[in-house]
Amino acid sequence: FRFKDSLAEDLRRADLVISHAGAGSCLESLEKGKPLVVVTNEKLMNNHQLELAKQLHRDGHVLCCNCSTLVETLQSMDLSTLKPFPPGQPEKFALFLDKVVGFQ
Amino acid sequence: TGGHTTEILRLLSCLSESYSPRHYIFADSDKMSEAKICSFEQKRAETFSNSQFTLDRIPRSREVRQSWTSSVVTTLYSMLYSLPLTYKLKPDLVLCNGPGTCVPVCISALLLRLLGIKRAIIVYVESICRVETLSLSGKILYYFSDYFIVQWPNLKEKYPKSVYLGRIV
Repeated sequence: FRFKDSLAEDLRRADLVISHAGAGSCLESLEKGKPLVVVTNEKLMNNHQLELAKQLHRDGHVLCCNCSTLVETLQSMDLSTLKPFPPGQPEKFALFLDKVVGFQ
Repeated sequence: TGGHTTEILRLLSCLSESYSPRHYIFADSDKMSEAKICSFEQKRAETFSNSQFTLDRIPRSREVRQSWTSSVVTTLYSMLYSLPLTYKLKPDLVLCNGPGTCVPVCISALLLRLLGIKRAIIVYVESICRVETLSLSGKILYYFSDYFIVQWPNLKEKYPKSVYLGRIV
């Protein structure tokens, strides 16, 4: 498929997600509790995309690889080592903003 | 654009209806944000009956990896649109999260403040993608925003004037 409005349905049915390091893709998959393998391509990507993938990997939420190591990663991976990814808390932002703006 | 829109809609998700009307400004080249915003606002209207929002487009201020000097020119061009728009809207609060589009809007808001026309609170939330380094918009607006929010502790260390609330999207 080219561009769908939402991958939510496909994500729901998936057992494993293999994605580029785009934040939206990573976060959407992690929030649905799907095991995620992030494929980074340091030549093409803006460096900052790599920052998030690296941090998620450091925190044990995703497996990382690049295009050439993808097959090997899929063959040898142990998904049970992945840690669940707690959701973000926009309510903290709302509380902060209410104070800043003066709504209490 | 894309990821920025998704993030900002999440930031808005827990805000009360006191934050109304909401004026969304995005780049004219952005094809997907309008649908995301309308979908968000439609859902919101199911809970809050008097939900109001508007959509406005301004020229995109900078392409990815566009050079510094040409970015200044294109940003100034975007300001030809953002300045009258910001003047018309006279927002109390400007909330942005990093696309180049936010720079002309924030500069416009600052100009209105300097001219004594309207004082808006400028709140900048750096993207969740930014773990170690700030975006270009972030580097600029760190000095010009009233509140600068980062989502990872490394950035709080590097930019002490920032606010760290943990992950908020």
